[in-house]
Amino acid sequence: MNSTPKKTTVTLEDLLRVKRAERPPPEFWAEFEREMRLKQLAAIVEPRPWWAPFIRVGARIARYQVPVGAAAILALSFVTISEYRSGMAVEPSLTIPESSLARVSIPAPVRPEYVAPMQVAVVSAPELSSEIEPAAPVVVAATADTGTSSHVIPLPTMALVSAEPSPSARAIAANLEALRATDPSIIDEVFGRSHVALEVRQPVRDPLEQLGASRDSRRARLLAAGMPASSANNEFVPVSSSDRVTRSLTEERLYDSVSRVGVSGDRVAIRF
Amino acid sequence: MDAAKTLGKALVASPERQQEADSDIVVVRQVQAGDVAAFDQLVRKYRERVYGVVYHLTSNREDASDLTQDAFIKAFQSINRFQGQSSFFTWLYRIAVNSTLTHLRKQRLRTFFSFDKMDPEDTVSAEVIAALTDNTGADRGTFAHELQEKLNEAMQKLSIKHRTVITLFEIDGLSHQEIAEVMDCSVGTVRSRLHYAKQLLQSELQAYIRR
Repeated sequence: MNSTPKKTTVTLEDLLRVKRAERPPPEFWAEFEREMRLKQLAAIVEPRPWWAPFIRVGARIARYQVPVGAAAILALSFVTISEYRSGMAVEPSLTIPESSLARVSIPAPVRPEYVAPMQVAVVSAPELSSEIEPAAPVVVAATADTGTSSHVIPLPTMALVSAEPSPSARAIAANLEALRATDPSIIDEVFGRSHVALEVRQPVRDPLEQLGASRDSRRARLLAAGMPASSANNEFVPVSSSDRVTRSLTEERLYDSVSRVGVSGDRVAIRF
Repeated sequence: MDAAKTLGKALVASPERQQEADSDIVVVRQVQAGDVAAFDQLVRKYRERVYGVVYHLTSNREDASDLTQDAFIKAFQSINRFQGQSSFFTWLYRIAVNSTLTHLRKQRLRTFFSFDKMDPEDTVSAEVIAALTDNTGADRGTFAHELQEKLNEAMQKLSIKHRTVITLFEIDGLSHQEIAEVMDCSVGTVRSRLHYAKQLLQSELQAYIRR
């Protein structure tokens, strides 16, 4: 005998209600209760690990991990920037006294044939002071025998020495003092001269190029032999000696020299 | 803020649920006062419902049994932290669902089905099975077994969150508000998940739906 009423439509909700009928048998609960009691007793006896509260706190914080992470990055950035700025604030600055400024004499570029000796004022070590005026421009004076032109080149502030000498600087100074006490001649020899005149080496020039304008005729005569005929009438162009030798070999002379040398088998014949 | 929250819950919760929550609070206070045996009342009252939720989420009776026991143990251990801001039932459900979700995430790659038998006395399931087998002439017992497998397969194809919502709403009969409290999300999220889960199940169980 079927007492269930007729049902024609079956919806998703009906199907899901079928799942409600999946139930454990009554004897299952007896077993469940027994196991539950054992676990309950075990939980009471078993000490909780010391890190258990931290897990709970961590789980709560995990919910806010994005804002907490962002705040941490922001704080780290602020700390880093403030540290960097404070480091910049105590950065030592070096001031060079005006008397110690480099004085450089360079040849004025007005006469290419004459190269004036260059004088360089070298700042000696003891003259370097840790207290150097800021923003002092370095004066570079260019002088020549024929004309003098002076240029003032403002250079950016130099930061060389800290306000307080470093340990290595103090050690060097102590060593120098000890050396000065024992053998002052070495100190004078090494550091005593504050001005060193440097003879600027003249650039290598072709000797022919160095001939004066009054000797043009002589130069022309000398060059006539070395220069090929085609270039004889051209303006003087400074050339290297190898070029001149190459140009002096005319084709005729070249063929002539070739014909003087003969090679046949294992013999070389040279005709004079 | 808390008062508004409580008022909101009171407006949503049905009178039966409210009465149930009040009686639970009394027992919880006894347990908190040191009457450990009083906790057994709560276990007996809610074990079937908690087991049902966990079973429908896992589709494995052994896992469901273990997870239900663990949920009660956790609730027992933490009962002193229960402040009564939500009902005990919601709090217990939250513990059970969270334990189950953690278990499912760990065991994502290995799932074994282990079903409880369908209750032959259940009228709703008998009606549905009768409607589905009337014209086909198939054996009802065999068909019920097949339908049970198909239903569980379809449920396991849902994501954990969608499965939870559909279990709590369609099988356990919780309201949207209660599900939102258990799952710690908004009512809108619950509705959205429910809609999506139903769509998926509809397509999976198309063969068994008769209009």
